[in-house]
Amino acid sequence: MGGLARPLTLLPVLLALAVLAPAVLNPYLRFVVTLFFIYAVVALGLNLLLGYAGQFAFANAAFFGWGAYATSLLQLRLDLPFVLALPLGALLTAGVGALVGLPALRLRGLYLAIVTLAFGEVTYWAMIHWAGLTGGASGLKAPAPDFTALGIPQGLGMYYLCLAMAVLLYAAAWGIVHSRVGRAFVAVRDFEVAAQALSVNLTRAKTAAFVLSAFYAGVAGGLHSATLRFVAPESFDLFQMVLQFAMVVVGGLGSVLGSALGAALVLGLRESLRAAVATQEILFGGLLIVCIVFLPRGLVSLLRWPGSPWIERLHWEPRRRGREVATWPLSP
Amino acid sequence: MFVNLLVSGLANGAVYALVALGLVVVYKATAVVNFAHGEGFMLAGLLAYSLYVLAGLPYGLALPAAVAGACLLGMLTERLAFRPLIRASVVSLVLATTGLSFVLKGIARQVWGGRGSDLAFPPVVAFQPLQIGELILTGQSLVVMGGAVATMLLFLLFFRYTLLGKMMRATAENQRAAALVGIRVERISTITWGVGVALGGVAAVLAAPLTLLYPDMGGPLLIRAFAAALLGGMGSLAGAVLGGLCLGVAENLAGGYVDTSVTEVAPFFLIILVLLLRPQGFLGRPEVVKV
Amino acid sequence: MTHRRWITVTAAAVACLLVGASAGPAMAADPGLTADTIKIGAFGPRTGRVYMYGELAMNGAELVYRQVNDRGGIHGRKIVYVREDDECKNEGGIAAAKKLIHQHQVFMIHGGGCSNPAIAAREEVESNRVPMFVLDAVADQIAQGARYIFHPGLTSGLESVAQVDFAKAMGAKKIAVVWQNDAWGKGRYEALMAKMKAEGITPVATEEMTVEQNDATAVVLRVQKSGADTVIQELYPKPTAVFVRDALKFGYKPLYISQTAAADLQDLQKQIGIPGALDRFYAISQVRVSLDDPDMEPWRQALQKHFPNDRLSIYTLFGIASAKVVVAALEHAGRDLTRERLVEATNRLCRVETGIYPGPVCFTPDDHHGLDQVAWIRLTGDGKVEFWRGK
Repeated sequence: MGGLARPLTLLPVLLALAVLAPAVLNPYLRFVVTLFFIYAVVALGLNLLLGYAGQFAFANAAFFGWGAYATSLLQLRLDLPFVLALPLGALLTAGVGALVGLPALRLRGLYLAIVTLAFGEVTYWAMIHWAGLTGGASGLKAPAPDFTALGIPQGLGMYYLCLAMAVLLYAAAWGIVHSRVGRAFVAVRDFEVAAQALSVNLTRAKTAAFVLSAFYAGVAGGLHSATLRFVAPESFDLFQMVLQFAMVVVGGLGSVLGSALGAALVLGLRESLRAAVATQEILFGGLLIVCIVFLPRGLVSLLRWPGSPWIERLHWEPRRRGREVATWPLSP
Repeated sequence: MFVNLLVSGLANGAVYALVALGLVVVYKATAVVNFAHGEGFMLAGLLAYSLYVLAGLPYGLALPAAVAGACLLGMLTERLAFRPLIRASVVSLVLATTGLSFVLKGIARQVWGGRGSDLAFPPVVAFQPLQIGELILTGQSLVVMGGAVATMLLFLLFFRYTLLGKMMRATAENQRAAALVGIRVERISTITWGVGVALGGVAAVLAAPLTLLYPDMGGPLLIRAFAAALLGGMGSLAGAVLGGLCLGVAENLAGGYVDTSVTEVAPFFLIILVLLLRPQGFLGRPEVVKV
Repeated sequence: MTHRRWITVTAAAVACLLVGASAGPAMAADPGLTADTIKIGAFGPRTGRVYMYGELAMNGAELVYRQVNDRGGIHGRKIVYVREDDECKNEGGIAAAKKLIHQHQVFMIHGGGCSNPAIAAREEVESNRVPMFVLDAVADQIAQGARYIFHPGLTSGLESVAQVDFAKAMGAKKIAVVWQNDAWGKGRYEALMAKMKAEGITPVATEEMTVEQNDATAVVLRVQKSGADTVIQELYPKPTAVFVRDALKFGYKPLYISQTAAADLQDLQKQIGIPGALDRFYAISQVRVSLDDPDMEPWRQALQKHFPNDRLSIYTLFGIASAKVVVAALEHAGRDLTRERLVEATNRLCRVETGIYPGPVCFTPDDHHGLDQVAWIRLTGDGKVEFWRGK
């Protein structure tokens, strides 16, 4: 039963690190770490949907955008304060997630992928063309919570807010994953037909997965808008989707910690390549391939040894599903 | 206006159809959607540019050479990117091929970038618009449509009647059985990837004068080819062609009759509509999950 | 390892981090400045669809800086030029600006190729009081009302207004507008519509195209049906070429009024591939020389030498011209250089001749947009670029 006991010793240390870090980080690095907290949350949401529930959905970047626009517009148009706009925006996004989850009840695999991708593209198009609401292609100046009352600079305030939200949502996800809901997700992923026989309500499980991932993306999106103080459509395009997929796969599908590790690696890679000669595309793509080939279960798999401070169950087993695939050389 | 929108939509659709066909050929044989397929298209086009425009080779040499280059790229991708990941999950493969697409795009930018904006490929036939009633056709769009049809016919003949084509079909249907009758499954897999990317390469060279050439041209095309393939039913070659043509026509009709701003999003509305009403696409077979 | 070991290791790591990071470099009076170097930072799209506006323009700027360094620098200081990619995204723009300011500790910034990232980065630049010269982005809002940001080249607002004036001067009766609905195009479109409204002109058709579009049949037919005799285009080169080509297919030959993005007319002609396509095509040019002008030869050679992958293009010229303005400003500020002195000197900088921009660059404390003139170009029958001086 080593699952829960061990992480608790390492976590306070990591937390202390995170809380103290701004003392030594310059504003640029602090910004990057703030972004890491945000992406860790959205990657976790995607992992719940893709890694645990096995739903091959391309809609997460759109959910991220919905959250960002919803939070900003609730503040700008309805004069709501940020503390209300963020959760409301996330709830709205979760509602959208439920709608997007409906096709999931009829579609699987690549068909689900293309329909959710289409949803993402339509969202992107709407962000640009519904300019009266969204500000169109030039975007919106997004409001952010005012930290001057607390006497701390804006960047620092956002850092701690994002850290707090990330910790909260990670704890919640840990709970979900170890509950009936989490087990239902895995059942849907691995044994869809058998799961039904075991009275797992497929509809409820799939919808829950979509709603959760949308909610997480919605929160992350709202935080993103407040950190950048800018919301524009190009932040939520297909490249954003690729980035999120990369985080989840490289970190470890079906792993809570993996989501954070993947987010850290991908963002770290992006930042360190920012100054590289224009070959950074090649390096980024190459490193992605290397990670996938040599660590098929993700970074988290590096932590699997006896006595490791972190052990998670329900890990993603990479295997090809659907068609029967022979491997070569063929075994007799 | 309608007939012009329709016919130019078919010309665009023919390009989508060829690229989608290549995608489905690889998918049927190896159950992988190659997300670097668009970059294969792009590299074939740029290769043709280097041969035809820069090196001055005659078109009759440049086109086959570029297609051969695409074929080679496909085979290399199979060996280097797909083989090591043969047991990986769908998502891992998607990401690996996406990573490859970045690498290829970066290479293209290094080699062919730095010439200002998009590269021009001279039209193969002199521009003499042909007028039939209200319909107006240009030489180049006739080349594209004719070339696409010819390629698809050739491919069909190859697939149906040659030994290699039959081996590919056998492997696509049941690999174990194919191996049991003595087909070298690894070789066929490599060749299939080569053929798939080559089909995209043909489309690229035919369409190059119309699309212009630049390192980022693969992305939007891949999305449309992917959409076309799924529209037609992912396991169906004819479906891919049908899907591509429908997509091209839908774009134009939407742009002409609704609003030009809708052109880029029309394919996606179509996809959502069709797949919600018919989840297996036009010609796909409903998936039977064996318990 | 046991739990205890893990805690110890982690604590030790944290301690090292704290010690290592707190021992930072001692801050000079103004960062990025030493007795013999000035550090200039650049951000812009170095990859992606519009990397020409970033990487290629930066190449041009760097040529100027290398030349200046070869001649001994500015008041004895050599320029160190660092580049960061903003990926043409807001997030990238803010990250790149922060990295340049807080990590590289640049003295000033010469960057901005995409509108949105530059606008997003503006707050960071202004609040940290870093002087910035726009590289080749065109949005007005980057420098409008800013204290530390200067815009040497043309802006969308200026160009759109000029397009309407040009249309009127050419006697246009029915005007159609074809534009790209992205951050770049929207700025131009809105300025265009505002000016047209002010002049009491209503367009007979307003159609959109995307940068990737390969077929303009629907757009052309709709514009043609509206009876427009003039088409104002706010498009990048590819959609411009696609529209003109498809228009010719349908025998539609309006007057075209385009802008600086489509100003490489010889390239455009090649992309269209039909002789005589650009007979009635006029574009605003931000550069008053053509690429095969003998004056450009030394730059071509320098580019070949330092950036062998690159080829002389209008984007190189954009970078060269704006870098010349930067150099002029730094020289004007004198040897005793600080950021505030640079800003103050630039506010008084006028009559800077770049040899590339259509007119001299002039800044005032209230107007940080350096150019107020546009040049119109067209392609002659024998494929030469000609500056149109009026009927």
